[in-house]
Formats: sequence, structure tokens, C-alpha cells
Amino acid sequence: MRDLLLELGTRPAARRLVARLGLPVPLPVRLNRARGPWEAQPLVDQFIAVGAAGPSRLGAILARTIARAGAAAVISDSASEDAEVFREMGRAYGRPATTVPVAGPSHGFRVDALVFDATELDGPTGLRAAYDFFHPLLSSLRSSGRVVVLGRPPAEATVTEQAAARGALDGFTRSVAKEIGRRGSTANLVQVAAGAEGHLEPVLRFLLSPRSAFVSAQSLMVGVGLPAVSDPPLVRPLGGKVALVTGAARGIGRAIAERLAGEGAHVICLDRPADDTAGGQVARALDGSFLPVDIGGDGAPAAIAAHLRERHGGVDVVVHNAGITRDKTLARMSEEQWDDTLGINLRAPLRIDQALLEGGLLRDGGRVVCLASVAGIAGNHGQTNYAASKAGIAAYVRRRAGELAARGITVNAVAPGLIETRMSAAMPALVREAARRLSALGQGGLPADVAEVVTFLSTPGAAGVSGAVLRVCGGALIGA
Amino acid sequence: MRNGARAPHGRRAVVVGGVRTPFVKAFAELMKLDTIALGAAAMRGLLERYPIARRDIDAVVWSGVILPSIWPNIGREIALEIGLDPAIEAMTVTRACASSLQAVTTAAAMIERGEADVVIAGGSDSTSNAEVKLPQKLVHAAAPLMFGKRTPGDVLGALSKLMPLGELLPRAPKVVERTTGKLMGEAAEDMARRNEISRAEQDRFALRSHQRAAAAIASGRLAREVAPVAVRGSGEDEGEARWVHTDTIVRADTSLEKLARLKPAFARGAAGTVTAGNSSPLTDGAAAVLLMSEEKASALGVVALARVAAWSYVGVDPADQLLIGPALAMPRVLDESGRDLGDIDLVDMHEAFAAQVLSVLRALESGSFARERLGRARPVGIVDPARLNVHGGSLAFGHPFAATGARMVTTMAHELHESGKEAALLGICAQGGLGAAALLENAAS
Repeated sequence: MRDLLLELGTRPAARRLVARLGLPVPLPVRLNRARGPWEAQPLVDQFIAVGAAGPSRLGAILARTIARAGAAAVISDSASEDAEVFREMGRAYGRPATTVPVAGPSHGFRVDALVFDATELDGPTGLRAAYDFFHPLLSSLRSSGRVVVLGRPPAEATVTEQAAARGALDGFTRSVAKEIGRRGSTANLVQVAAGAEGHLEPVLRFLLSPRSAFVSAQSLMVGVGLPAVSDPPLVRPLGGKVALVTGAARGIGRAIAERLAGEGAHVICLDRPADDTAGGQVARALDGSFLPVDIGGDGAPAAIAAHLRERHGGVDVVVHNAGITRDKTLARMSEEQWDDTLGINLRAPLRIDQALLEGGLLRDGGRVVCLASVAGIAGNHGQTNYAASKAGIAAYVRRRAGELAARGITVNAVAPGLIETRMSAAMPALVREAARRLSALGQGGLPADVAEVVTFLSTPGAAGVSGAVLRVCGGALIGA
Repeated sequence: MRNGARAPHGRRAVVVGGVRTPFVKAFAELMKLDTIALGAAAMRGLLERYPIARRDIDAVVWSGVILPSIWPNIGREIALEIGLDPAIEAMTVTRACASSLQAVTTAAAMIERGEADVVIAGGSDSTSNAEVKLPQKLVHAAAPLMFGKRTPGDVLGALSKLMPLGELLPRAPKVVERTTGKLMGEAAEDMARRNEISRAEQDRFALRSHQRAAAAIASGRLAREVAPVAVRGSGEDEGEARWVHTDTIVRADTSLEKLARLKPAFARGAAGTVTAGNSSPLTDGAAAVLLMSEEKASALGVVALARVAAWSYVGVDPADQLLIGPALAMPRVLDESGRDLGDIDLVDMHEAFAAQVLSVLRALESGSFARERLGRARPVGIVDPARLNVHGGSLAFGHPFAATGARMVTTMAHELHESGKEAALLGICAQGGLGAAALLENAAS
């Protein structure tokens, strides 16, 4: 689907004209996206400014993450003890840490990302450190830049003041996302549970990289209770894994299948038997296999389980992507419209997972990713059936995550906002236009943006993220 | 890959000698000699200086980087060229700048395994005779004209495929990484910046390399390692041999002032620090090493200089620090031989660029590098400048790609033997993000 404003925005002359005329049209910028498979150094040659509220317990992890990813840390020249860990790690990887004057950067200074460690926040007064860090630096952030704030879950706070301060970071980060979104930059909050620090590096790597281009204004919990994966692979993270993707013939499902295969997985592309031409083509192109099953059918779970058992002996990654919409206001909705939507979107994923678990087919360390929707979070006119199914998915993953944690299996949902697909092309033009512009990034996402997030959640390194509903919405206003 | 240190109860390989041609700047005195002729000169020189019976030779393991495409197994061609018995088998290995170290360690492995008792290893490269490639487009378009019957239509068709003609100009060979498209010098420039190595440090290092190489030549100690090469003229001069006796790149008279005047070669503007003065130049040359099993050496009554005790090859991401490999390979060799850097009397590193050697030294000194990249609790250590490249290195001598490793092995083997010192650690960086290291031990101890 063409986005005229986005195309206009890529032309400097048009941008100048809009500015000259004083039109109230903020032109979105084309997002910087990654191509190809994961790289060992996704942040090569970047400069990442790092600050903290109080002493940084995560300093060593941040320093290591930044240097290993190919970037250099930029630290305040106030030369605290924290600075030394960044200098040392920079030397190990030939990425010397540089300093920025505490009074503020000089003219022309640019950074690719700002990372703020607020995990040691003790109360509302401590929040001032966030102002002090971001205020002088935010205008030095490059376009398509990244802001990551690290906090702790408010529920784990020892005192009330601390809980409030921790919660404050959420609104702070979301607002920063809105302020920097028009330049293609994103801001996200990571809540690191005490003891989950070992899970942090892959999450940071992902959020700082172009692969998270359409994830903004989100808060993501990195939790405990899951066995840590030591030294997860940085490249080809899904080598040797078997992945099942439902609805893989086209759109977002196809993009997911492509990315999973790109990281080394053998992808079983499941779609309706009626789609066997398109599905077969995808499977062949990816060196995967096509599994023609109508997941709404009663025998589907058993058929899928039998296929996985016979051909692969099990499965490592399950992506419940297949979904349908049958929009009608509730008063006018037919029984079929209700039943089909709930059947495909909610009942089928639950039944398939149940069959895989009962059959012992989902391997330890496995990954389940369900496609939810922003509509499920916000509710939508004419989508009582769809929103119900997607909200059901959100609740399902939270519950399942707890049940499977001991086996190292994570269960998450990804909730896309407006993604430019066949489905969104069918929306009324005004609604689509509103949905595009009412987001921090001022544009719709691409199927690949969703696929990158699903892929990340499918990797061994994402072991610390489970039970999450992660929105891929460009910081959409709806349901935020 | 990891290679075991010496076999626990087995045969051991020793270096008994080595000879090389003078190292000469490309497109100069040795231009008329291709890599096979250069290799032949080195191998002939070796057999003249170490008069073993030719029938005792079991194999030749040669190496090259710029290989002639129709005779890539130059080892065999060289052996036949100098009239070795055709029954002596020969192979050619290639591992960029570590090629002839690979030849030496392959030969050592053959000896340890009992495949051979006497092996000639070495390598040669003539940058002057690198094949200038025709663009593939021309080759493909011309193919119908060269093979089978051709019609006028074929000629026109071929011509039309060749437009625009500018793409047909032959391209000069460059030392470019295939995966990153970066020139080697740009990678060195990156490493200088990333490891915070100043221009002055690089120039000081280059100056020392020239001064030590010049001193080594002046002392006469290199004379036994370098065999003069005859270059026959062409046309009227044919038959008149001109002799090239000595290395031509070493500058005894260079100074920090002279080096400081050179412009950065790879980075535009004042930011660059890598110059022609602190980089190794394109060079023509060859070097040969004679290896034997310990038993054979004593049976023949030949003096063994040094044992090839351990070696290791590593790979790093070429997109990261292309030439940092020795910082990983050298500690491995230390671990495998159960030694600390402090036990090492001599360290000899290939000097592709001063910036690269200094980057590797900095990594070896770093505690965080040791922890993060080597899994060691403590830094590998500081290489004492008095033990490092005691007779200069590639910055001064030049760097015929596949001759450098054999030059280093020869010089270090002699140095161990003469000084009575115990151990020498060699380190070489190579294109493709490869690193190589080897440990030589005094054969008498």
C-alpha cells in the first residue's frame, strides 16, 4: 500500500516546502531497517550514550553489550567509578569509550542511541537523573535513533516511593517516544526483574538494532524463573531448529516464515489446503515444507501433531499467525461470523498447543509466539469477535508462560498495530490514514517489522521474555 | 583450528635451515621473475647451502598467494624446474599472508605423522607478475567467438554485449577483502583508530623495524639466509645475468622526521595515520625452509636449529578488526605448549602494518581482552620490545605474501640456535580475518 506522505517525506524539497508553508503535516521519515540475517555486530561503528540514576549495577552488562555489538559507549566526563568498566570493555573489543562533557555536548555531537539505567531508582527525587541525562542529549540523537530505559518492575519495589518512581518511567518513556518518533526514533522501557540481568544482553541488542524499527513506546519485562541460556548464538540463532508457522502463505505469516528460515530454522509453512499454490511456493523458496491444514477443523491439532512427530520428532518454535476478521457490529453479526473468528483466532491455537504438549512434541527451550492485535487491547468498533479472540490470546500467553517456564519454554504474543498488508489495504482510506498518522512514528509498519519481533522472540537469547504481549505498532495512540 | 602441541610420545619435526631470495620492491629488479622462478631460486639456494642428498627429500610443501591460474600447484612446478626427482611429491597451500607458515606446519605435521622424514617447505610470490584479470563480461561475451564456428552475427552479438567499453578495462589487483570490500590499509586505519594508536607510535615502530633490519644486514648474519638471484635480461642482453644480492627495501637512513612527512595513504584528510612508511610494501620474493624428523637429522649428521613445537590458526570476523587474529592465536599456542609469555625469549610478528602489530600488542596487554576474548583471568602480558622482532620485520624487509612466514621461521630458528635461547613465538595476521601463531623451541634443549 502506498503511503504518499512517507514518499513525500523522503524528498528534501518537499520537506522544505511543507515547512515553508507552515502546513500542520508532520512528514514521517523512512525507517532504517535491517536487511538479511542477524549480524555479529548489529551496532557496528555506532556511538551509544549511557547514563544512570545513581550507581549503575548494570554497567558491566551494558558495557559488554555495547562493545560486543560493535558500538562505542559515550559516558559523562564526570568520571565516576562506573566509567572505568566502559573504558575497559571498550578496550577489549577495540571500541574505546568516549566522553561527553557533563555540561552538555558540543555542537555537531551525535549519538545513535541513549541508554539510561534507572534500575537503582529509589524514589521520585531520583527521577531527576532521567531529566539530567536526557535533557542535554536528546537533541543529539540521530534520526532512526534508539532510546532504551532500564527499570525494575514496580511490583518488586521494597517501598512505596520506589514503586511510584519505577512506574513513572513508563509514562516518561512513552512520552519520549512520541517526541522523537517523527524522526524515526524509538523509545522503549525494559523492566529487569532482580536476578534476570543475565537475560538482558540479547534484549538490548534487539531493541538497539534496526530490527526493532517499529517497536516504540513499549515496556518489556525481562523476568526470572526461566533457565538462563548461556552464550546464546549471535548469528544464525535458529540453526537446527524446527519452526511451525500457521498462515504462512502470505502477508505477515510469510514474512515470519522467511525471517525464521533466514536465521537457520527449517520452517513448516502451514496454511489452508486452498492456498497450497502460494504456501507451496513459500515453502520451496525457504527450503522448508508445506503443511496444508485448515486449523479451524476438528482434526487439525492431531494432524499437525502427527506430521511433526513423523517428520521431525518435535518442534522448537510455534508461531500462531493464522487469523481472520469477520467484522460486523455485534447487533448485526451472524453466528458464523462469531464462531469462525473465535474458532480460528483463539480456539485453534489453544487446541494445537494442547495437542503438542500432550504429545510431548514441543521441545524444552521451545518458543511459542501468538499473533495478537492492538485491536484486542483497545477494542474496536465492529470487531467484538476479533477483539475478543485477540484479548483471549493475550491472557492465554500470560497463563501458559507460567506453566511452561520450568522447561525453559517461553510463550509470548506480538500485537501488530497498522501493518501495510492486504488486510489494511481493505480498510476505509480515512481510517487507514488516521491510523498511520496517530502513531509516534507517523506511519504504518511492514510485515517484516512484525517478523523481526517474532524472530527475536523465537531465539534462544530471548529466554528472559515470557508471558509478554509486545506491541509492534510504531507507538500507536490506540490502546496505548 | 587447534592443532595439538607436540605428540606425547612421537616424532618431532625440526628446522635445519632456511634460505630466501632478497626481498625486492614489486616492479623492480625481480620483475622478470615470476613466482615459479623466484621459488626455484630460493629452493636452489637452499639445496646449495644445505647439501643433503636429493634422494633423501620426501616431499615439497610450497605456498603462494598470487597463484598462476593454469599452474596453481607451483610447488610441483618449482620442484620440476630445479630438477628434483619427479618421484618427490609436491603440493601448494594457500592461507594469505600466513601461507608459508602453513607450509611449514603442514610439513611438520607430515613429519610427526611419519608420512615424511625430509620436507622442503616455503613459499613465493611475485606481485609484479600478478595476472591482470580480464573482466568476466568480456570473457563470457567472447566465448562464442573462441569456441566453435562463428558467424558475423556472433561477432556483432558479442560486441553489443560488451558496451559500454569502459567496463572492459583490465583491473589492477588490489589487496581488498572480498566480504567487506575494504582495502587492507583501510582495515589497518580502522584498527589504529579503534585501539587509539597514534601516528607517532606507528612511525616509531616502523623506524625501529628499519633500524634493526639494517643492523642485521650490516652484521652479516642475514647473509647465510639470503641467496643472490640471477636475473637474465632479454633481447640483446639475453644471457647476461644481473645479480640481485640484497634486500632493497630496508632503509638504514630513515628517520622519524622523514616518516612524519609521508601523507596518510588510506584515509582522507588529517585523520589518517597509516602511511607508506608504516605499512609493508608490495614485494617480490621467495623463502624455503628445510625440515626433518629429529631422528633423520641426527642420522644424517645435520645440525637441527629449532623444533616446530606448536601452532594454531584462528579466524575472526573480517568486518570487525581484520588483522587482530594473532592476539587470539598466540595465546593459544602458549596454552598448548604450557608456557607463559614470560617464558618466551623471542617474539616475531609479521608487520603488515605498524598499527596492526601495535593493536595486537595492546590486546595482549589488556585484562579485559583476556577475560572477554580469551577466557583468561589475566592478561597474556606485555611483550618486551627488546624481544620483539629483534632483526626487524615486514615493514623494513617488505612482504612477499607467501614468503614472509618462511622468512620468520628461518630467522628465528637461527636466532634460537645461535643465542642458545629457549623459545620463539611467531604471530602472523592474514587476509580474511585469519590469525596464525607458532612456537619454535631450541632443538638442543
